[in-house]
Amino acid sequence: MRFVRDYLVPRLIQYVLVVFCGVTAVFFIPRFAGQDPVLEMIGQIQAQGASLDPQAVRSLMETLRELYGLKGSLLEQYLTMWRRVFTLDFGPSFFQFPTPVAQLLRIYLPWTVGLFVTSTLLSWILGNIIGGIAGYFSGKAWSKVLDAVIMVIRPIPHYIFGVVLLILFAYLWPLFPAGGLALGRRVVINWNLIVAILRGSFLPALSLVILGGVVWFQQMKLLVQNVKREDFVEYARVGGVKERRIVFRYVLKNAMLPQITQLTLALGQVFSGVLIVEMVFSYPGIGLLLYRGVTRGDYNLVMGITVLSIFTIATSVLLLDLLYPLLDPRIRHR
Amino acid sequence: MEAFRELFQDYRFAVGFVIFAFLAFLAVLSFFSPYDPIRQLQVPRDRPPSWSHILGTNSKGQDVFWEATFAIRNSLIVALIAGILSRIVAVLVGFLSGYRGGTLDRILMGLADGLLVIPLFLILVMVAMLLRGSLTLVNTGLLLAFFGWAWDARTIRSQILSLREREFTKTSVLSGNGTMALVTREYLPFTTPLIFSTLINNIAWAIGMEIVLAILGLVRLEIPTLGTTLQWAITYQAMLLGHWWWIMTPVTLTILLLVALYWLSVSVSEYLDPRTRIQRIGAQ
Amino acid sequence: MRRVLLVVGLLMFFAGVAFAQLPGNVPRNETLIVDQLTGRVGTPSNFNLWAGWRWQDRGLQQLVCEPLWTVDYATGEIICGAASELPQYNEDFTKMTVKLRQGVYWSDGVPFTADDVVYTIDLHVKTPGLLYHGPMAEFVDKVYKTDDYTVVVELKKPNSRFHTHFLDRWGCLRIMPKHIFEKVEDPVTFEFNPPIGCGPYKLLDYDPAGFWTLWERREDWQRTPTGMLYGEPKPKYVLFQAFETEEAKILAMLRHELDMAQFAPEGLRVVLERGETTRAWRKEWPWVVNIDPCITGIVFNNMVEPYNNKDVRWALTLAIDMVDYMATAFDLMAPPSPIHLPPVPAYIEAFFNPMEEWLKNFELDLGNGEKFKPFDPEIPQRIAIAAKERGYPVPEDPKVLRELFGIGWWKYAPDVAEKLLKKHGFTKGADGKWYLPNGNLWKISIVTDTNPAHHHYRNAMAAAEQWRRFGIDATVNATEAFNSLHLMGEFEVGTMWPAAEPWGAGVDLSRTLEPWRSSLVAPIGQAVTLGPGGAARWSDPRLDEVIAKLEATDPFADVETTRLLGIEALKIVVAEMPTIPTYGYCGAVAWDEYYWENYPGAENPYTQPYQHWPNFKYMLPFLKPKK
Repeated sequence: MRFVRDYLVPRLIQYVLVVFCGVTAVFFIPRFAGQDPVLEMIGQIQAQGASLDPQAVRSLMETLRELYGLKGSLLEQYLTMWRRVFTLDFGPSFFQFPTPVAQLLRIYLPWTVGLFVTSTLLSWILGNIIGGIAGYFSGKAWSKVLDAVIMVIRPIPHYIFGVVLLILFAYLWPLFPAGGLALGRRVVINWNLIVAILRGSFLPALSLVILGGVVWFQQMKLLVQNVKREDFVEYARVGGVKERRIVFRYVLKNAMLPQITQLTLALGQVFSGVLIVEMVFSYPGIGLLLYRGVTRGDYNLVMGITVLSIFTIATSVLLLDLLYPLLDPRIRHR
Repeated sequence: MEAFRELFQDYRFAVGFVIFAFLAFLAVLSFFSPYDPIRQLQVPRDRPPSWSHILGTNSKGQDVFWEATFAIRNSLIVALIAGILSRIVAVLVGFLSGYRGGTLDRILMGLADGLLVIPLFLILVMVAMLLRGSLTLVNTGLLLAFFGWAWDARTIRSQILSLREREFTKTSVLSGNGTMALVTREYLPFTTPLIFSTLINNIAWAIGMEIVLAILGLVRLEIPTLGTTLQWAITYQAMLLGHWWWIMTPVTLTILLLVALYWLSVSVSEYLDPRTRIQRIGAQ
Repeated sequence: MRRVLLVVGLLMFFAGVAFAQLPGNVPRNETLIVDQLTGRVGTPSNFNLWAGWRWQDRGLQQLVCEPLWTVDYATGEIICGAASELPQYNEDFTKMTVKLRQGVYWSDGVPFTADDVVYTIDLHVKTPGLLYHGPMAEFVDKVYKTDDYTVVVELKKPNSRFHTHFLDRWGCLRIMPKHIFEKVEDPVTFEFNPPIGCGPYKLLDYDPAGFWTLWERREDWQRTPTGMLYGEPKPKYVLFQAFETEEAKILAMLRHELDMAQFAPEGLRVVLERGETTRAWRKEWPWVVNIDPCITGIVFNNMVEPYNNKDVRWALTLAIDMVDYMATAFDLMAPPSPIHLPPVPAYIEAFFNPMEEWLKNFELDLGNGEKFKPFDPEIPQRIAIAAKERGYPVPEDPKVLRELFGIGWWKYAPDVAEKLLKKHGFTKGADGKWYLPNGNLWKISIVTDTNPAHHHYRNAMAAAEQWRRFGIDATVNATEAFNSLHLMGEFEVGTMWPAAEPWGAGVDLSRTLEPWRSSLVAPIGQAVTLGPGGAARWSDPRLDEVIAKLEATDPFADVETTRLLGIEALKIVVAEMPTIPTYGYCGAVAWDEYYWENYPGAENPYTQPYQHWPNFKYMLPFLKPKK
């Protein structure tokens, strides 16, 4: 019971406050940024020289302000927003009016989660295992070569990396499409569909796994090199424990802890972290959707995506804090 | 000086130092550039490397080499502002939060979480609009620093949490050592490698972020940085038009810079780690 | 080793199973694949373009909608689509009669008649949520049919340009299928999926994420205006595809997976250099479409000091060296224009050539009785010389040069600019920088779009470069709030369109002049309704008079008066220079002749060349399959 009173309750209050402040900030920041979603839409319509007369534009401005729900005072809009957050109905997207934000999320979220979560997990596992082993055997030649190669790959700008992959595998050796997925509105699950999805997602996934993996590799290698020098590893070795067992049970397991924190946070980046990759490969991801929303002053869409993002990240950080003592027995909740 | 000699025995430090010194030299060279970094059509366009333009010229009529000196200088300014400021905050917050715990911990971590949960792009785009102008160098650096500490503060905090429970903490506390002494003598050496690795990660992140912001057109594209140089090379299709000297310059410089930082930090943190020191001295 | 084999095997498998599969598995050689200019569709399942922005260039306006009339700026003609002839007005412009084409059917087999037109106008008069509700409610008194193919619209007040609401020029009020919409409860929220039109194609499939839309030719294409006018559209399928980056688009075209696209000038060069079957609008340098009916340039906020001063605006114009400007902005490939009109063929004949003498003799008053003639007819030659130095194959014939680079632009005269500025108390410091009359450093922050490949950005970059050289602290301010800032007037100098796009055909300039009507100028902080041109927040009583006279002129019956009024207006605008026109918009269009040929290139401009214009449907019958 002391745990509940001294730790759990304050931690939950902190959680609620983080979510509250985050959502409030996301509500107010765009509204003060000097961009008017109604005017952005007018600009879009006029950009290609579409002909509308002044009377039409004036009535359109009125209608849009009404439809976008931007008529009332800021406080009224703020309260409406909270009602929407609790009902998970974020209203229509402004820029993609009248498509509801919820529908956009339904279309884009599976693609992003499918690609991003898979490749993040894959890169985390590969990066940590390879990095861990390379760290343990850091004296060996192969470890040094691998380290050097990864060191050079890591700083390559993602855009360049993606375009080079495209040139290689979509042009010089055209195995994969240069952009987009060829799925129609009536999706029939069959073999061709699966192949199409795999082909369309392969290059973005490859670049995410490599570009993400090298970061995990470097971090893990440093951590392992550190843990390796701990006394208990030394004792184990002196005590004649098999090397394989030392690597996996003693060293990797211990070095893994900080990496788990990082993984949770990395997964939270699903909403904006892979924008460039989505762009280069014309992938229907949520990062691109959010970015377009931000640049067009699409308050509802921005709100919908960020509320999801805030809940996901705040909740996973909370769970992590609660579960940490289970993973590392040396830590107690205080 | 003694320390330097010792460090230089590590080839990684030596190489990293030489590369870094070279890049710093380039950055200093920018002060002697015969060209204005912003002006265009100063030299014939799209020329491959030659004696008069050692890295060729770009489609904007600028000398790629001299542009690069400005780019590296400006990127270093951004990355160092972001890296160092955010390190100071991250270390302070991580130590305080991890060691003191309780309400302070919750407040600080709440702040950090608050920053982590809001998608970064949203804020960057909005701030750029709020400032009624695109981001200048210092603003970009400050903004990245503001967002760069939260993640690492958490990492450092969890390391401290783990150290706090170890034997030596109790020993130290029982033998009457003050908090400051405990932190500086016992914790800092243990966390230094981590801090260094977060520093290079953060600088790498800041440089990467600056490139992303430039590609999205959110910083002032006229000011040469690694990101904006790259952005112009991409916009003018340097890669596909075969102007390799233009696109390779910022890419190579980015790689060199981060390789140098990586090796320097790995080498320095090993040097600072008390356990390896003993090994090293023992081996001699 | 095993792993390597596995990877190689997997790659081979992918390569073998589904090579270049198109959406809907349509055969490539019967499909025309084109790039979607406005990018990924945000409302993929919604085709109701009467109720809002629906990414209409996804094929909707090109292949489905058949408007009453369409402008073709390449031939200078107005094409009668669903209407069989041009509209007729009565004496005082209070009644417009429209004759409809007979034998036209909607794509679901229902005949197209006057009832559809009457229904469309009626519905717009009474439904506020529709885009064209404003003008319809304002002008239409009553609308009725006299027979199945004749519609009469009676107007509440005289309007000689009422038909322009039905004249397609990248948007107009298109006719709705009555039999679909009359069953709909709310025409504003109705999705109109699948779309039904009188155009020659119908919807086959689309991507729920909005990256592509696929259209199939109607079996009864003979019963569409396009089929009747030009014959069978050749591609059986047309696929509109959106690309997020220029690189992906370039690679797709080089792989023959994209037939028509619009690039940035550099992207065009890549496609031409690396592709063996690619061509541009013009087969030789400068390749790009220089007959676009749209003018780019610089906009001043005429309500802000010091840009409310005509001499300051002119000084900034004369501080520009147009040859260098064009080199920075568009690699010397676009046609400069000294007046607020794009140099399309119809306008060169009607306005540019007739105004040349006047431009040459036009004088600025420098004070102290000093005069200066700012027009420079040598610009085309100087651009040609610069392009030759750059290594481009430049034609020698002065006639061709004139066709490519127009009649000239304004002189590079920094000394004159200096006099104009000093006349108003500006000073040049010892540091070579200019100071405002109040003693502060003169800073110009040019508000522009964030896409560095866009003409807006290119203009901003070139102007900043020129003005910096002149000694003004000029910077490019690329911001996402570009549209908002311009419409609200919260900027000083920007690169919104300097004048509204004209119709592109005929001699009627009403569309360009409209935004400068004094009644439309809004105070700063209140949005102007017409951004292009209107963002300058400028008006002139003399211009108001010309606009009023134009309104009382029938553009079809009285062509010469319409044209002369246009010239009169242009002279006023040039003398005041509220915005600086720089060069005509250029589309860096590329076509791949691997599967299709006979595109409307410069050597045979049978129609306008863009795939995103509504006239695209009139191009398709002329294409020829190659494989």
